[in-house]
Amino acid sequence: MALGTLELTPATSPPASGPKKRRTSLGGVLIWIVLTLLIIAPVMCFILLAVSPRIFSQGSQWFTFTFIRQAFAGYSGRAIFNSFWVATVVSLFAVAIATTIAWLVHRTNILGRRFWTIAMWLLLMMPTWMMTLGWTDLLQPFGAAKALGINTHFIYGEFFGPTGIIVVLIAAALPFAYFVVSAGLQGLGPEYEDAARIHGAGWRRTFQTILPIIAPAILSAFAISFAETLSDFGVAFTLGYHSHFPLATYTLFSAISNFPANFSVAAVIAAVLILMVIPPILLQSRVMRSRSYAVLSGRTRAPRRREFRPLARIVATLGVAFVFFVTLGVPILGAVVGSFVENLGIFSTTGIHWTLTYYSQVFHPNISGKALGAPLLLSNQLGFFVATGTGVLAVILARRLIASPGSWSQRITDIFLLGSVAIPGVVLGVGYIFFYNLPFITNNVANIYKTLPLLMLALIANAVPGQTRFMAGPVSQIQPSLAEAARVHGASRFRAWSATSLPLMSRVLLWGWLLTFTKTLSELAISQILYPPSQEPAPVAIQSYLSGFESGTGTAMTVLMLLEMLGVIVIALAIYRVATPKGWRRIGWTGAQT
Amino acid sequence: MNLHLSKKSGLRKRVALVALAGTTASLSFVISATAGAGAASNPGFALYAAEGYDTAAAKAFNATHPGFTVTVNDNSTGPLLEQIQAEGNNPKWGVLWADGSAAFAQLDNEGYLVKHSVPNVKFNALGKENVPADDSFTPTGLTVTGALCYDSSQVSASQLPSTWAQLTDSKYKGMIGMNDPSQSGPTYPMIAGVMDEVGHYKKGSTASAVAAGETFYKNLYSNGIVVNSTNGPTITAMESDSIQMATIQSSACYGAELTSYPTMRVKYLNYSIALPSVIGIDAKASPVVRADAQKFVNWVMSPAGQHVMQTGDPTGDSLFWPVINGEKPANSIIPSLASTHAISLDPYVWGPPEAKINAWFDANIANDGL
Repeated sequence: MALGTLELTPATSPPASGPKKRRTSLGGVLIWIVLTLLIIAPVMCFILLAVSPRIFSQGSQWFTFTFIRQAFAGYSGRAIFNSFWVATVVSLFAVAIATTIAWLVHRTNILGRRFWTIAMWLLLMMPTWMMTLGWTDLLQPFGAAKALGINTHFIYGEFFGPTGIIVVLIAAALPFAYFVVSAGLQGLGPEYEDAARIHGAGWRRTFQTILPIIAPAILSAFAISFAETLSDFGVAFTLGYHSHFPLATYTLFSAISNFPANFSVAAVIAAVLILMVIPPILLQSRVMRSRSYAVLSGRTRAPRRREFRPLARIVATLGVAFVFFVTLGVPILGAVVGSFVENLGIFSTTGIHWTLTYYSQVFHPNISGKALGAPLLLSNQLGFFVATGTGVLAVILARRLIASPGSWSQRITDIFLLGSVAIPGVVLGVGYIFFYNLPFITNNVANIYKTLPLLMLALIANAVPGQTRFMAGPVSQIQPSLAEAARVHGASRFRAWSATSLPLMSRVLLWGWLLTFTKTLSELAISQILYPPSQEPAPVAIQSYLSGFESGTGTAMTVLMLLEMLGVIVIALAIYRVATPKGWRRIGWTGAQT
Repeated sequence: MNLHLSKKSGLRKRVALVALAGTTASLSFVISATAGAGAASNPGFALYAAEGYDTAAAKAFNATHPGFTVTVNDNSTGPLLEQIQAEGNNPKWGVLWADGSAAFAQLDNEGYLVKHSVPNVKFNALGKENVPADDSFTPTGLTVTGALCYDSSQVSASQLPSTWAQLTDSKYKGMIGMNDPSQSGPTYPMIAGVMDEVGHYKKGSTASAVAAGETFYKNLYSNGIVVNSTNGPTITAMESDSIQMATIQSSACYGAELTSYPTMRVKYLNYSIALPSVIGIDAKASPVVRADAQKFVNWVMSPAGQHVMQTGDPTGDSLFWPVINGEKPANSIIPSLASTHAISLDPYVWGPPEAKINAWFDANIANDGL
């Protein structure tokens, strides 16, 4: 119960019978005002252009359907279709692989179970543009693989096409699906497996028995994978473009990067991407309504692990290791090796030459005033505030999300959050220009366009939907009676929360913070549009090298940024270990492993 | 045990203090970031620029002109124009500086640019050709697009074509690459220049010239031309032997030759297309900003400004031909401008059809006729 739309079953007492009185709380209104300022208003400003370009002086029509027809015609229409089927295929594979790994990690005795969970976190934190860069560095002719003496010529053509796109997108969607399915599996006691096995079922039949029981988690994993894949831009811009396989996020970008920009066609594509996530949610709701899936109870026992025989244990471990090697190891290997090879990708009669030049150029660049130091420092500062702000808002939203399970309010919030996941960063960025640069806003509300605070708000808006869904699971598992007991004993509201919920959620809060921090550090689409002049964040600085003739320096910068991310994770975990009471560390895993 | 707990508690306190100090430092960062926005009586202006030397130029200017500060939004041309259009009538830019005058002509037509902003300097012949009649933007330097860059380790000079028409010859099938105009700023001027030449455009409607140009590019497509997004990937394709030559921007080829690709060479066909780097001032900015912006433009065209342009990005955008009499190119790798057979386009004629031509190219050439 982590990231997806799940059966949120808070351990509350049953609702009182009789009609419920509707009430509008000040907190609820405030939250929707915040969400409006962060997400709804900027995105709606952008979407409105689909039918009314004149509203923001981007055309002559007050109301037209012309751009809807344009968006579905030719190249752009093909891209929308491609995005739909690719997202479907990717989600199916991601869920299947994630379910298998989750079962192996949580229900069997494979080796390195904790390591695989941490590896899944690292995979979650890695942006797709870094994955693509690593794969490209590795597989390109005269690339990193060649430097290591491996001939990858046979796979090069295959990778730079739909196959490569699907592989990278599966790698990106895998952790989202994994954490959702893991939660479902962990809430499932061993009795169902026992019952199946008592009736003579083998492991395959047992697996088939369990799968329908965790159907909500699987459907939820599918929905979140689908939304994440739809909104991905890194793969669409790199692999998709170069293999002439258009995806919707690329054609959206292309429509607005042309001159004059066609914001209206881009708005139609954005609206289509958001609407596409509704069917998976409706499917899930329909399945959920058809019968009861409630398996969590106070009597749920800890699951028993299946003990593999030694050979099977090694085979299963190697299988999981292979998945992580392909998804995480290969791109990191490609980028790291690539950053040490002189003139990567160029045929040389004298063979491969190893060099440290690119690392030297990181701090003494060829282009005047383009060193990585200041941008990286700025990105870290941004990451700190964005991760903290997102964490606070996500916890508040998650608490509201689970406060009224099954209600329309929850369903609307749920759809809103998942729809927001499907919004590409570029839409949010341009939407922020339209909204926060309106004369009414700059003169009467806040004149913050092209300032760091606005960039922070946009980055928080980008992170909040995913983070809220991430928090919803752990929050729903906390008994409200704990806080009630603290209140009865005279604790203030904050004291009650910090003494009961905080210890239980401490580790998931930490990982959530790290997730947003690292994602902010590598976020490109929004930063490129909204960064204040002369205050370039690190991804923008790196991109200017990667897109020019200094790709070696750009790759070295990327590797350093990856190292920095890893360093921050290690330091944060060390601080957590030192600074928190032992009890927190013992019980603070609620939701973090799941 | 108690001692252990006490030590641990002390450690926790220290960690908490460090965290508090970090938070305070970070908060001061936000407060200063917010306070900086528009607090001064003369806030300076934002330079929206897509030149490799733009940051160096702003830094040098700020160092010698106290009183206001030029800040830089350094991006590709596409995102900059996208931001300018989204900002609409409430612009936040003071000066735009990018390669290619077609977009500037359109901005001028829509009233975005201050007229008569060209500094009083002595332009050379190609410089003069690229100054618009209403002086609404200033050419600051010149590269050419449509230079034939080739890998001398794969193709000898004698095997190369000499004219654009020869590029469609079957002996060059699958050997030639170019960029996508919707991704690469210098590519639309090249396509427009080819249309202008093969269609023998004189004046009036561009329709017949566009049709002739489309036929030419369809022939190139049939001959297996490979389209990549920008200069970087196109040169990478040459490096990896996927293609042997490409019609791209001259500075990209010279930059590659000077850095990672020593076997790169450049040949100029029967014509290439002059691509001025252009600077213009926001007409909708406040009078204070416009005055500051004009000082910056004047400085860019001064010897000091030209020097920074020639040294700020020595293996990239600094490899241009100056448009001011008496200024020489920064690097001896750059041949005489006459050898490029550069032609100048009228941006007011070829600016308006840009979106339509790019859309046609994307649908019919760049994406396999989708």
